[in-house]
Amino acid sequence: MTTVGGDIVIIGSGITAANMAAHLAEHTTRSIVVIEAGPASTPFAERTAARKRFLAYGENPWARDHLEDQNAFGVTYGFSPNMHVGGLAMHWGGVTPRYSPEDFITNSLYGIGTDWPYTYEDLDPFYQEAEERMGIAGEQGPPAMDPRGKPYPLPPIPVNYNLQQLQLWATQAGIASWSCPSAKATVPYQGRAQCQRCDTCYPVCPSGAKYSPDFTWDALVKSKRVTLVTGTLVRRLVADAKTGRIVRATGNRTDASGEEVTIEGQTFVLAAGFIWSPHLLLLSRDAAHPNGLANRSGLVGKYLAGHRNIGGQISLPLELYPGLNAQHSLVSKQFQRASYPGGKYLRHDLRLWESSVGRGARLRDDKGNLLLGDALLADWKQRAKGATARVRAYYDVLPHRESKFVLDDTRKNRWGDPMPLVTFKDAPESEALRPWQEEELRNLFRRMAKAGGGEVISLASNANDIGQEHPTGGCRAGNDPTTSVVDGWGRAHDHENLWVGGAPTQPSASCCNGTLTFVAVGLRTASAIAKSV
Amino acid sequence: MSDEPTPQVPSRRAFLKVAGTVAATTVAASTAGVVACTPSDSKGTGEAPAATGGARGTGFDRRTLDALGEVLLPASLGSARQKGAVDAFVAWVDEYAPVAEEMHGYGYADIRYLPPDPAPGWRAQLEGLDLLARRSRQRPFAELDAEGRRAVVTAALAPFGSAAIPDALGAPHVALALLAHWTNSPDAWDLALGAKVARDTCRQLQGVERKPLPLAGGDA
Repeated sequence: MTTVGGDIVIIGSGITAANMAAHLAEHTTRSIVVIEAGPASTPFAERTAARKRFLAYGENPWARDHLEDQNAFGVTYGFSPNMHVGGLAMHWGGVTPRYSPEDFITNSLYGIGTDWPYTYEDLDPFYQEAEERMGIAGEQGPPAMDPRGKPYPLPPIPVNYNLQQLQLWATQAGIASWSCPSAKATVPYQGRAQCQRCDTCYPVCPSGAKYSPDFTWDALVKSKRVTLVTGTLVRRLVADAKTGRIVRATGNRTDASGEEVTIEGQTFVLAAGFIWSPHLLLLSRDAAHPNGLANRSGLVGKYLAGHRNIGGQISLPLELYPGLNAQHSLVSKQFQRASYPGGKYLRHDLRLWESSVGRGARLRDDKGNLLLGDALLADWKQRAKGATARVRAYYDVLPHRESKFVLDDTRKNRWGDPMPLVTFKDAPESEALRPWQEEELRNLFRRMAKAGGGEVISLASNANDIGQEHPTGGCRAGNDPTTSVVDGWGRAHDHENLWVGGAPTQPSASCCNGTLTFVAVGLRTASAIAKSV
Repeated sequence: MSDEPTPQVPSRRAFLKVAGTVAATTVAASTAGVVACTPSDSKGTGEAPAATGGARGTGFDRRTLDALGEVLLPASLGSARQKGAVDAFVAWVDEYAPVAEEMHGYGYADIRYLPPDPAPGWRAQLEGLDLLARRSRQRPFAELDAEGRRAVVTAALAPFGSAAIPDALGAPHVALALLAHWTNSPDAWDLALGAKVARDTCRQLQGVERKPLPLAGGDA
């Protein structure tokens, strides 16, 4: 039996946990211990080699990044089995838009969904903090579409030649677009290199330009302000039956020893994402809390939210050179703030990328003749002329109460803990509008193609059975303990020294990439913890 | 152009300006019996693929494979670049690690693995090309003229009617694997585009706003 202790115990070491730990290290003098179930993955020095093998063969560049018997099942699109230092954000794409003010007040504005217990304006300073900690490179969009309190910390990723052409096309279609904000250093930043357009941000940045949580952990560990304990799976939180206070956590080493570990602390912070944070609460049921901890409302593991998308490829009478910077895009937020005639609800983002679809070499011509040697190259040169644009719109999907995971007794880890079984379910207002919403998006892309004198090559939507992206929920925040798991600061209604950070607390998931918001929400919680300890 | 970035090890002072000292009243974090971790400095993964000793790629009959490259790849490349493309293909086959873990990113939540070694099948197909040449034209494939080689390759690829060139790793024929490997290369794309784009390589941000420069000579 090993015992680990600290004043503040953070469970999980992903991007939210890393930034919360950094905030706490700066704003308290309390000791901080972080517990991660997996090991450290591919070291920085090995990422160039890992990238090469990913490009050559599709190999996973992140060695030992998951536990074989610790995974979620069911509808898990947007989820990836990751249990290692840094979590999912080791292979994230680094795209960092903010949500829009409307996301926080959909009920007040439109009569649907749930208002958050705080506003965009409340979160703005924490967005800024997240952007500064991670070194976000961004371009200020039109303020009416892209409100923010302070400038981005880093200059934007340049709008390259290809994106300039697409930006002109978007303007023709009546759409304002600008350089998509990203956690990629456009100038050397806090020891990180300038972006080198390697175009493998997802899944691995070899230069260090893209922010990943391991950099923060390195600094925190070296400063001795944080102790990072790896290879230790927390399996239970133990609460005092009378006071509700969390008195300890227990778990096991995930190496061959399987040794039992006890984690002692004064304050416990769940920062393990939308699946594993509520999962631990449900696993921690006891006689005094038969439905799991923090679950007076019965909502732990429920109201899982996300968004779906319509995307496609559009051919255009332009001249593009695919490969200049394929992972960088233009973004527009004008449709995130839109209102629609007749009161129908549709809010979405819009992204535009260069694409090589339809422009590669082919084996046979239109008549089926085999193309070899110079004939193949001549045919390819003709196909390579012109342009293809990739387009995509994430649209807001409001969650049903029963959008949830349950503990699946048919799938257990080595210690017999049931794994999560996930089922997303749309709220009635989203379910009813889905066909119309998706057709509206397809029509938008058709109009855009027409405006540029081009043609739609393909349009596709998420299949029904692959769930939703950038998921949130499971421990939703609110002011009423009967309809939420944590309060507006992330503190569990039922346990005064238990906090939940980031994505699990969010009542909704907006219609854009969510990671920046997860971190900002986590930082807001960290600020409250710092004041409370 | 090299695809080697210029790694810049993150500063050991980066990311945090940790203020103050730990107050005497706080409980120091204790990790008795547990080794604390510094992630980016961790020891290597120990999971580099084992050296194959060239058993796969160098097991190809190079005379036949080079001759196949001359049929598949543009003559305008010149013989040195054609042979270079075949060399790159052989090296790629040599360095393959069968059934390695596939990248599991967004979109699926299970762990998947890459295919087993495709080289034995490709070697057999290469031998088959040579046998077909000997039986249909009474000469080894490498000794046929260009027209003869094209005829043999056309016959061998007849079962593969799709216009799409498959991914190299999943290619059902060695000719398709070699072709796919080359057409996926940055140099081949530059040739098709007639410009120096250097996709999939690490390049500076500066100048990216400008139209890419045309290839020297404008062609292969």
